[in-house]
Amino acid sequence: MFSKENKLEKFKDAETIIGASIKVKGNFQGQGNIIIEGTLEGSLKTEANLFIGDKAKVVANIESKDAIINGEVKGNIKIHGYLALGGSAKIYGDIQYTELSIEKGALINGQFLVLSESDKRKDNKKSDDRVDEVEK
Amino acid sequence: MHVYIYDEYLNKSKYNRAINRLEIRLTDLGLNGKIIRLGGIKNIKGTIQNEIKLGAKTIIAVGNNQTINKIIGAVIDTEIYSDFQKKTLLGLIPVGNDNSIATSFGINNIDDACNILLARRVEKIDLGLIGNYYFLNQASIQSLGTILHIDDYSLEIMEKGEVRIINLLSDIRETIKSNPHDGKLDILIRTRKRDESLITVKKIKVSNPQEKLIIDDVIEIETPVEIGIMRDKVNVIVGKGRLFD
Repeated sequence: MFSKENKLEKFKDAETIIGASIKVKGNFQGQGNIIIEGTLEGSLKTEANLFIGDKAKVVANIESKDAIINGEVKGNIKIHGYLALGGSAKIYGDIQYTELSIEKGALINGQFLVLSESDKRKDNKKSDDRVDEVEK
Repeated sequence: MHVYIYDEYLNKSKYNRAINRLEIRLTDLGLNGKIIRLGGIKNIKGTIQNEIKLGAKTIIAVGNNQTINKIIGAVIDTEIYSDFQKKTLLGLIPVGNDNSIATSFGINNIDDACNILLARRVEKIDLGLIGNYYFLNQASIQSLGTILHIDDYSLEIMEKGEVRIINLLSDIRETIKSNPHDGKLDILIRTRKRDESLITVKKIKVSNPQEKLIIDDVIEIETPVEIGIMRDKVNVIVGKGRLFD
């Protein structure tokens, strides 16, 4: 389950913390761990881990390595590693993930897709296109 | 050669004893040098740069944050250095109040300062830049109504509190880590609702039509302004108890 230790361990040295009183607008990109407790509109991407607090409101497409989401997200989510949706999470968008856990109470309105499968589909599509070109 | 720059306020009689004690200590340690008193000097930059051209190896600010602010521009201007001339070092001797910069460098009083000058431990420090102003510690502004523009995004703060743009921490009680060698600024936002935000940037634009930006607790300027960082710009003589690694 989503213990405080889980949260703290991953995000102890967060490079970026957006507090509850902050409103972010635009394309937010980072390399380190990010904690969002406030509002964000635009896009959100990091090469590391992402934590979205239970009072946070995000209207953006999201991409990160691992993520814990407890707040509201309107946008598509792409998590290359492990995604944990807490009981207070409200997601309005499609979710791509490698590993997933969902706590009771989470609200999700969108499609789920395992990232490795979608990558395979993309690879298959690309190789099909190449075969077609050769045959012509 | 050491050149000591005495700020104007040290002419007041209440500082006589401290200055006498300082000068005796410097003599005992063999650290005598030329003394320049800022009171009455119109072209501070020109005066200091003249001393550098004549071979001054260390410029020592005797005073407080304001003193350092007055002389730092002269010390970092590399155009005045001849080929192969090493950059002049900056030393600090805190006298009186408003000495957060000296505290950051582990220099807490006159006796400390003299011993540290003798030890001559040097660190290259980043320097914050706001228009024509430099800062070593931080620039700060009230948070409500402040908008911060960073790269492709902006931040608006919805509560009362303070925004601090930090190069070098001056408070030992502070929990965040700030590195004055990394070529980055740490933006710390604390509101009265006790929530804290932290972002690390290379440059930032700050705007607030109602509030002024305060640089190193000594200078107030209007916004909007762009704030950047110059990496390893100044060589400072520091103490063991400095607030950074």
